[in-house]
Amino acid sequence: MSDRDQFGLDGSADVVPIELARRTVVRPYMLTRGRTSSSLGVFALHAPLLALITTDQLGRNATPEDRKIIELCQTPTSVAEVSARMSTPVGVLRVLVGDLVDARMVTVREVEDRADHRDVRLLERLLEGIRGL
Amino acid sequence: MDSEPVGPIERQAVVSPTGLPFSMKIVVAGGYAVGKTTLVGTISEIEPLTTEADITVESLGIDFPGEVTTKTGTTVAMDFGRITLGPDMVLYLFGTPGQDRFLFLWDELVRGAVGGIVLVDTRRIEDCFPAVDYFEHLGIPFVVAVNLFNGVYRHHPREVREALSVPANVPVVLCDARNRLHVKETLVLLVEGALRRAQMAGVAV
Repeated sequence: MSDRDQFGLDGSADVVPIELARRTVVRPYMLTRGRTSSSLGVFALHAPLLALITTDQLGRNATPEDRKIIELCQTPTSVAEVSARMSTPVGVLRVLVGDLVDARMVTVREVEDRADHRDVRLLERLLEGIRGL
Repeated sequence: MDSEPVGPIERQAVVSPTGLPFSMKIVVAGGYAVGKTTLVGTISEIEPLTTEADITVESLGIDFPGEVTTKTGTTVAMDFGRITLGPDMVLYLFGTPGQDRFLFLWDELVRGAVGGIVLVDTRRIEDCFPAVDYFEHLGIPFVVAVNLFNGVYRHHPREVREALSVPANVPVVLCDARNRLHVKETLVLLVEGALRRAQMAGVAV
């Protein structure tokens, strides 16, 4: 049932970088053409993404990954969630999303620098929300 | 925010300038197999998901062995859940990777977090020491939640408090990680603490 079995990797294959190899046959950073960072910096794990287009509006040369991201982000969805649902490491996803943001196909609410987590009004809203669960 | 007086609160949805919901994050920490993912799953509206975070050179300690020359050292799996609190706000709960050797990953996890829940198994209290140290050191609001296994606990919260010597303003509570009400109350305690702290900071400015 594990991905290791699926690819015939039994724990003894210590020459194989399991973490990178097990999810996809294509190494994750092939998808990013070797880039490890986005021009837009680092998106927080919980930063919400929203597609500004539908998959129909994607060009013919769009990659399956781009298509999947656009599909998943038709409603606001976090970086971590898209990463998990695509079985793509967060670092890779950030680069792919960065390209889509550059191309104005996806928008992101960057949360790192905003100090939302110390904002009294937002914390009050959060508390109210949790109490209402 | 700094100059805004703490006044009457409008009980209405806060609107994000981008139209995207505000996204809040709480971190669930504790030793290996203490029940972090169970706790997340108890209150999450989705089955906990697993994401793989890449450890890059920037986020590594300088003496992390053998990973100096590569940009993409290793990946670490993290479980997380989601709670939609309204169209305007989503809360994410992230479980920290269990082993101490992943402590360096916490920097990314904890950045922008409202606070942390340190889950404690009283049979292995010492497992939570790194988490308590970490939150204390960074001054991040946290609560200590003593997990009840099969409804029993072996040490009173008071004893756990003494064992951990956490400050008086850090709540120590009993919390069955499978009990939604327990988890909810623990989250309430945490956010109340974070809110108090934010209000005090606002007054001080």
